[in-house]
Amino acid sequence: MSVVPAQQSGGGGGSSGLYDVLELVLDRGLVIDAFVRVSLVGIEILKIDVRVVVASVDTYLRFAEACNRLDLESGPNKSTGLPELVGEMTESGARGKSKGALSGAAQTISDAFSQARDEGRGEESRSESRPRARRAPARKKEESE
Amino acid sequence: MSTYVYGITAGSHSSLPEELAGVGDPARPLRTVEGGGLTAIVSDAPEGLRPKRRDLLAHQTVLSEAGAGGSVLPMRFGSLAPDDDAVAQVLQERAEHYRERLAALDGRVEYNIKATHNEEAVLYRVMSENPELRALAESNRRSGGGSHEDKLRLGEMVAQAVQRLESTDADEVRRQLEPAAEAVSPGPDSTGWLANVSFLVPRDGSARFVEAVDEVRKNNPHLELRVNGPLPPYSFVEPGPAEPARTPSGTVAAEE
Repeated sequence: MSVVPAQQSGGGGGSSGLYDVLELVLDRGLVIDAFVRVSLVGIEILKIDVRVVVASVDTYLRFAEACNRLDLESGPNKSTGLPELVGEMTESGARGKSKGALSGAAQTISDAFSQARDEGRGEESRSESRPRARRAPARKKEESE
Repeated sequence: MSTYVYGITAGSHSSLPEELAGVGDPARPLRTVEGGGLTAIVSDAPEGLRPKRRDLLAHQTVLSEAGAGGSVLPMRFGSLAPDDDAVAQVLQERAEHYRERLAALDGRVEYNIKATHNEEAVLYRVMSENPELRALAESNRRSGGGSHEDKLRLGEMVAQAVQRLESTDADEVRRQLEPAAEAVSPGPDSTGWLANVSFLVPRDGSARFVEAVDEVRKNNPHLELRVNGPLPPYSFVEPGPAEPARTPSGTVAAEE
């Protein structure tokens, strides 16, 4: 069997990777008018959480709350996870074509965000795997220096 | 008993993998129906078949396995013919069309990409790029969080900035991956993604496509990309690779 590069599935949880495929099985593929299709009422597939920003009061308040948690004036000393985050963002700023250089102000914000990250860690189960994976090499690099 | 149809392959398609389970509980054994020089992969249709997860997965697995042995036109889930003869008749009547599609999709697989924002990283970026927002947030913070109206105003501005970024990033993801694909098809409408796009990729170009995805990830740490593939070319069966990869709607190839 000619299996091409390792099957890639999802970026985070395996179960939602499943959803990604089932969606195509249900909504795409050849339809032949001479055949009938089974009813799709009551589909038993995984639900996904809505993560795209929806304009709503709830969203606004949530964002405002996230911003209010930022301490824009505090220095790096207030946050422990900071050096990694700044390193990461600086790196991406340099690599990204249109990201623009991060200003000093932006770095200060990064302090605050890393703080917010720590505070909000409990709620961030879905999006944790990737950031954690990204931070790991940075940490390793520091240790080796 | 009606016949469940999984997909259509060229007549020369090699035999199905042994022990491959079809839909239903217990899983119905697979068989083939021939007509017009083509072969349909089918099984008995269970009574009262519903789109249960197990059945959707069976459909998907059969097609993935069959696709590994040669070009397959995947049927949408739940296609039922009255009987095997009806399947053979359809194959005969439309043999030319299906053969053309099979040839067009031969050696090609689908990769589906879904993108979301890492909210934290996105807020970070939005704030870092927008002094006005920073000032507003700072002012709110000084007054102990600000009034309800203050919060709404800040939140709305942040939400708008994030939404603009969602739209830009959706275009960006597509634009950056198109060069590694032969065709592009927007994914099914579903919420939760800022981008949901399928790409038709030559099997032997899969590594290149995956590299392109990694590159997008590397250049956009605020984006989370979910990659699913190689898949049977669900999104490209009809009318096939409709849209050349190089003619995206509304996006102009920007200089790198």
